[in-house]
Amino acid sequence: MNALLIILGLFKSPDVYHSTLTYGTLLLLPALGGVISERSGVVNIAMEGMMLTGAFFAVVADLAWHNVWLAVLVAIIAGGFMALIHAVVSIRYHADQIVSGVAINIVAAGLTVFLLNQFYGVQEIGSVAPQFLIPNIKVPVLDAIPFIGPIFFEQNLVVYIAIILLVAINIILFRTRLGLRLRAVGEHPSAADTAGINVYTLRYGAVIASGLLSGLAGAFLSIGLSNTFVPNMTDGRGYIALAAMIFGKWTPLGAFAACLIFGLGQAIYDNTSIIPISPYFLSMLPYILTLVVLAGLVGRSIPPAADGIPYEPGNE
Amino acid sequence: MATPSAPTTERTASADTPTPLSRVIAYLRPMGTPLGSVLFAFVVGAIVVVATRGNALLAYESLACGGFGIFCQNGENTALQLSNTLVFTTPLILTGLAVAVAFRAGLFNIGAEGQLVMGAIAAAVVGIKLGTWPALILLPSVLIAGTLAGAAYGGLAGVLKAVTGAHEVVTTIMLNYVALWASRYLIIGGPLQAPGAFNASPPVAAGAQLPRLVPLNNNLLFGLPQSVFTAYTGIFVSLFGAAIYFFIMRRTALGYEITAVGQSQRAARYAGISVRRTIVVTMLISGAFAGLAGAVVLSGLSHSLVDTYFQDTTGFDAIAVSLLGQNTAIGVVLAAILFGALHAGGQVMEADAQISHNLVFVLEALVLFSLAANFLRTFKFRLPAFGRSPTQPAELEAQDVVVGAADEPG
Repeated sequence: MNALLIILGLFKSPDVYHSTLTYGTLLLLPALGGVISERSGVVNIAMEGMMLTGAFFAVVADLAWHNVWLAVLVAIIAGGFMALIHAVVSIRYHADQIVSGVAINIVAAGLTVFLLNQFYGVQEIGSVAPQFLIPNIKVPVLDAIPFIGPIFFEQNLVVYIAIILLVAINIILFRTRLGLRLRAVGEHPSAADTAGINVYTLRYGAVIASGLLSGLAGAFLSIGLSNTFVPNMTDGRGYIALAAMIFGKWTPLGAFAACLIFGLGQAIYDNTSIIPISPYFLSMLPYILTLVVLAGLVGRSIPPAADGIPYEPGNE
Repeated sequence: MATPSAPTTERTASADTPTPLSRVIAYLRPMGTPLGSVLFAFVVGAIVVVATRGNALLAYESLACGGFGIFCQNGENTALQLSNTLVFTTPLILTGLAVAVAFRAGLFNIGAEGQLVMGAIAAAVVGIKLGTWPALILLPSVLIAGTLAGAAYGGLAGVLKAVTGAHEVVTTIMLNYVALWASRYLIIGGPLQAPGAFNASPPVAAGAQLPRLVPLNNNLLFGLPQSVFTAYTGIFVSLFGAAIYFFIMRRTALGYEITAVGQSQRAARYAGISVRRTIVVTMLISGAFAGLAGAVVLSGLSHSLVDTYFQDTTGFDAIAVSLLGQNTAIGVVLAAILFGALHAGGQVMEADAQISHNLVFVLEALVLFSLAANFLRTFKFRLPAFGRSPTQPAELEAQDVVVGAADEPG
């Protein structure tokens, strides 16, 4: 009972909302990537691996060049490169997209530690100096608003970017010709092909976009929220993002809502150490919630019709 | 991308003039794709090592040394290396079978890891709480408890798929994490935590433990104390599992139904097979194999529930094992030996060649890419009927036999 009061007390301070938004954004970026990729008809369970690759190369680049912007760029490209592999294997070679996704996740976990060992030997990778981390930005004037200011206007730069991307992707997906085509390719590729839409180009673009977004999330994790790379530091966040995508019914805004719910759990855990519930027990919740949604208990969540099916012209 | 495939010219040659040589080749042909994938992985892996200023030859020599005790540079003990390989191979056979049986039904069980963890948890509970039972009853109970827990956990994904159409890939990923966190919860501050231990359960009773292959004492064997040979009798349980798998798939109506559903749900339905029921039963069997793997490792190796499952990759390696083994019993056993050897070898590689054992995961992923990229022609159409030539290939191609395709059942 006492503990419940402590948790409720947390909600009086802006800290818990601030953390919720931060963690939610970390999940939002790969979740948006998943939405784009799967809307185009390519199943993507590889956000975990692409994020991890981004996290690793962000630190490597930042330590080598002492330039955070270059490091972020490298991370984005690294994530995009992993996605390119997924795209080539699953679009060009019609490979099973789950196998390819699993392989990406395995190779990311293995390669990052392998390279860590090759580049830095047995010694630690070292940590990035504070001035070379992705900065927190205080928005002038607005950050002075009581309560609201500290929550929304004292965030990491990536948080603002992610929110802009969220709005942009939502508009592109549902309000533009490009978005309509992307969704058509994911729902009925042969009809889209007949209408003159290049199925392959759109799918390549969508998958690579998911890698770019996941790579950015990786950089946010390693040189934004942290200052070094730890093996397997994504710790299943790519899979939680996958869950958020499903939870949000393959829509950007829905996914964001799910990310905030999942982020809240982490935020509560972060802001107090005296919860009687085991944090490990709490960690199960996002997955259980997603299972409940999948089971159809809280409305059905239905993937795009052609999700996961390689497209071959004339094979209907 | 190099996509090694069987020599297609041999097919026509053997059809025209069956010479002894062409018969041998025809018999070995199914191994062409897997062997080619492994070769591809090793070639690309060598490039990765060389590109990062490593010595690929030394890396592979030490890998072979650690896996099979050959080409050893630093006087490693061959018997010890083989024992280590066996330790890794034992659960891989069972999880490989778990993934394979699901593949046969066109299902993708990515949740072998979670089912394994659940099996280990159930085995630990029985082995600890019922520790006073005589070994003759307790040991089978432990293994059966793990099997049932894994089956229930896999079956849950099967029921979700059959009833609501929820894709088994997504549900099993979620179930993996539920199981992982549940195991951590149980042993860190939870009801299974051993007094005084930070993150482990108490060991299961002696009667609940699978014995080692060589008795645990300090007598010398191959020049080493017997206690260093950790290989355990679980390997016989695994081989028994492989025999069961072979029997189910080849000799029972259930095996036929699983294969039929995997080839075409529509055709299976016309043949009077209940697709929903088959999906659930397949996932039950799949989970049972994975759960047994968890129970075997707990009972034969770790003895207590420990916090290593987040690093454990047995359930994910199983995907590579089953694909490389082309979902056949013998293939899975061979592939499990290969990956067991790679994992055991990785440790020697790290010591002798200063190359991270994580190279093994890179190799594993390369095998997967290579197999997957070659899928459409070899895997997709041949998978369910592997080992038997499809009688009507044209008809098969016409149907949508994509593994893991979200066919709406019912």
